[in-house]
Amino acid sequence: MSILETRNVTKRFGGLSAVDNVTLQIPEGSIYAIIGPNGAGKTTLYNCITGFYPADEGDMLFNGQSLLGLSPDRITKLGISRTYQNIRLFPAMTALENILVGAHPQLKSNWVDAILRTPRQRAEEKKALEKAQDLLNFVGLKGKGDLLASGLPYGEQRRLEMARALANNPKIILLDEPTAGMNPNESVTMMRFIESLRDELKITILLIEHDMKVVMGISEFIYVLDFGQLIAKGTPGEIQKNPQVIESYLGRGAA
Amino acid sequence: MKDLIKQGLRLGLVFGVVIIFLILFGLTTTLSDILGDFVNLDSNTRTGNSSGLMIIFAILSLWAGSRASAADRSKWKSALVSGAAASLVIGLFVAAFILLVGFLDSKEIAMRDYLAQLDHLSIQFLLFGRSLIPGVLMTFGIFFFFGILGALLAYWFEAKNAGEVIQKQVFILKEKVLDSKLVTQYKENPISKWIGYGILGIVVFLMPQFLGKYWNYAMGTVGIYVLMGLGLNIVVGLAGLLDLGYVAFFAIGAYTAGLLTAPAPIALQIGFWPVLILSVVFAAFAGIILGIPVLRMRGDYLAIVTLGFGEIIRVLIRSDMMSPYLGGPQGIRDIAGPSFFGLSINTEKAYLYLIILAILLTIVFTNSLQNSRVGRAWMAMREDETVAQAMGINTFYYKLMAFATGAAFAGLGGALFAARNQYTGPADHTLMVSINVLCLLIVGGMGSIPGVIIGAFVLKGLPEILRELELYRLLVFGALLVIMMIIRPEGIWPAPRRRMELHEKELEILPTDDSLVGKEG
Repeated sequence: MSILETRNVTKRFGGLSAVDNVTLQIPEGSIYAIIGPNGAGKTTLYNCITGFYPADEGDMLFNGQSLLGLSPDRITKLGISRTYQNIRLFPAMTALENILVGAHPQLKSNWVDAILRTPRQRAEEKKALEKAQDLLNFVGLKGKGDLLASGLPYGEQRRLEMARALANNPKIILLDEPTAGMNPNESVTMMRFIESLRDELKITILLIEHDMKVVMGISEFIYVLDFGQLIAKGTPGEIQKNPQVIESYLGRGAA
Repeated sequence: MKDLIKQGLRLGLVFGVVIIFLILFGLTTTLSDILGDFVNLDSNTRTGNSSGLMIIFAILSLWAGSRASAADRSKWKSALVSGAAASLVIGLFVAAFILLVGFLDSKEIAMRDYLAQLDHLSIQFLLFGRSLIPGVLMTFGIFFFFGILGALLAYWFEAKNAGEVIQKQVFILKEKVLDSKLVTQYKENPISKWIGYGILGIVVFLMPQFLGKYWNYAMGTVGIYVLMGLGLNIVVGLAGLLDLGYVAFFAIGAYTAGLLTAPAPIALQIGFWPVLILSVVFAAFAGIILGIPVLRMRGDYLAIVTLGFGEIIRVLIRSDMMSPYLGGPQGIRDIAGPSFFGLSINTEKAYLYLIILAILLTIVFTNSLQNSRVGRAWMAMREDETVAQAMGINTFYYKLMAFATGAAFAGLGGALFAARNQYTGPADHTLMVSINVLCLLIVGGMGSIPGVIIGAFVLKGLPEILRELELYRLLVFGALLVIMMIIRPEGIWPAPRRRMELHEKELEILPTDDSLVGKEG
C-alpha cells in the first residue's frame, strides 16, 4: 500500500500550470525520485504536498488520509518532513536548537509547564536533548551542537537540515536536491546516508535530484516531470531508455 | 604642506559649524552649567559661571586639534601646521559668530524671538561676562591656543607611542587580574555563581533603604521600564514581531487599575491585589484580541498596524466621547495603592520593593519560557517563519502567545505605575513610551535580560542623573542610537548568541557562500 499518493494534483499560477494533473504513488519503505528540468514543477509539487500551496485540483493522501486543507504544521505533525533546495536552517540558533525545533511536534509541554518547570517538562526536555544529541551524532556532527547553524560549513549544514527533519520522527521525508553543491565523493556519502535512513530508521524517501548518478544509483522508481506534467515513470533502467525523457533533457533532435 | 593646510581648514570648518549649532540650541550653556556646578568654581549665577564654558571650549578645540593633526603626525611641524589651520578656522568662525550676536545684542535687538537660546543672559555668558571685544578675543584665543596644543599633544602621544604603551599596560593588568588566584578560584567554584547572585540580591534589597525619596521614585520608574522591556523583549527579541504600539497594553493595565480602584469615574473601588491580577489578564486579553486580526501580517506591516493601535488607545482615553467612563484628558485621580497584611504601601520605597519583586518574577518567567519548547518555537519563527511552520509549529498560536505574554507584562507595569502615581492620564501613554521601550532593548541588547536592565538604566536612569539635559533627551537618544549601531550593534550587554551572530565573520574560518544559503528563489 502506498504511504503517500497524489491524485491528479494541479497547481496554477495565473495562466501557468506549474503542476498539471500529477498522480504519484509512493509505497512504504521505498526510495522514489522525481526528476525533470529546471522549472518542471518539482518543488511546487512538494509545496503542495506540505501544505504551503493549496492545490487547485486533485487530492493528496497520506496513509489514506486526505491532506487537502490542512495547514503545513498539521501536515508535518502527521509525519511528513522535508528539506529545502537552498538550505533553510535557523541561522542564529545553535545546531542542537535547530534539531530541538524539529522535534517540536514530538514534545508536549506547553507554556504553563515551561513557566512552572514541572517535572514532566524537565523530564521531557532531558529526553529531547538526548535524542537531539543522538541525531547530531547520527548525521556526523558530533560535538558541534553548540555552534550556530550559520557557522557550519555547507555540507554540514545540509546534514544538520536532515537531522532537523528526522527529529520529527517522520514516516516519509521529502528531500529537495540533497546533493546539490557536493563533489562526487560527498554525493556518494550522501547516497549511503539516504539509504541508511530507509534501512535503519524505516523511513520512506522521496527525493528531487538533478545528479543522475545519484538518482539512478539509489532510487527504485522514478517519476519525470516536464512543464508540470508527468511525462514518464519507471525504473531507472526504463527511464534511461525513454525517448521522451531524453528529449526533454537534451532537446528535440537528440532523441 | 598645501594638503595639510587644506585638510586642517576643512576640519576646522566642520568643527566650527557644529560648535555654532551647539551654541544655538543651547547645549554648550547647559553643559557648562553642569560642569560649573561640578567643579564649583564660581557662584551659581549663569553669567558668573563661565569657567564651565571655557573648559568645554578648551576640550572641543583640543579634540579638533588632535583630529586635524591626524593627517600627518610624523613631524611636529606638520602636526602644528594642520592643527593651527584647523584651530584658526574654528576660532574665527566661533568668534565671528559671538561677535555678531554680541553686537546685535548690544544694539538691543531681541534675537530671542527667532532663536530661543540667544537671550541677553546667554550672550553675556558667551562673552564670559566681559564686554564685546575682550570676550570675543578671549574666545578666539582659547580655540586657537588649545587647538594647537591638541595637535602637539597628539604628535607627542604618537611619537612616544603612548597609545600603544597604555593599551599594553591595561592588557597586562587585565591578564594579571584574570589570572590571579582569587579570580581563578572564583571562576572554578560552582557555588560562586550563587555567591554572585547573593551579593547582587543583597545590593538590590538594600538599595532602596539608602536612596532618598527622589531616587527611589526615579529607580521605580526605571524598574517599570525594565518590566516593559522584559515584556517587549519576548515580542520583539524572541518572537521577532515588531510591535510599535506596546504602550497600548501599558495603558490598558494602568486604566484597569485606575478605573477599578478609584472613586471616579466608575466608583467600583475594588482592592488593589485582585485588580493587579485583572490588569494583567485584561492586558493579555487585549493582546489576543489585537493579535487575532493583525498577526497574519509580517514585518513592517505589523509595525504600522500596532503603531496605529497604540494611538487608537491613546486617542480613545483622551476623547470626550469616552470621558464619562475613562476620565477624558484629566485622567483618573486617587488610584488606590495596595496594602500588605494591613501594612499600607504608599511610600516611594515600598513601591520600589514591589516593583523589584515584580521584576524578579518576570525574570524567572521569561527565563523559563526562553529555555523551553515555547521559547525555541518563538526563536524559530523569528529566524524563518515559513520553515518554522514546516517544523510543525503552529505559528499563529505561538505569535498570539508571544503577543499576550508581552502584553501581560506591560499590563503589570501599567498597574504598578498607576497605583504608585495615584494617577494616570492620556499623557502617560504616548507613542514616546513605546519608542523608549524599544530603544532600551536596542541599546541594552535585544534578547538579553541583563541587557534590558542596563538599557533601562541608561535610557531612563541617566536622564534623571543629568536632569539639566532634559531638553536634549531626544537629541542624546538619537546620537546614542546612531553611535550604538555603529560601534556596538549587538547592544551593551547582548545575548551570547547575538554576539556570536554579529561577530561571526571575525571568527569564521570557512566562508559560507551567500548564494547557496540564501532564501529560496
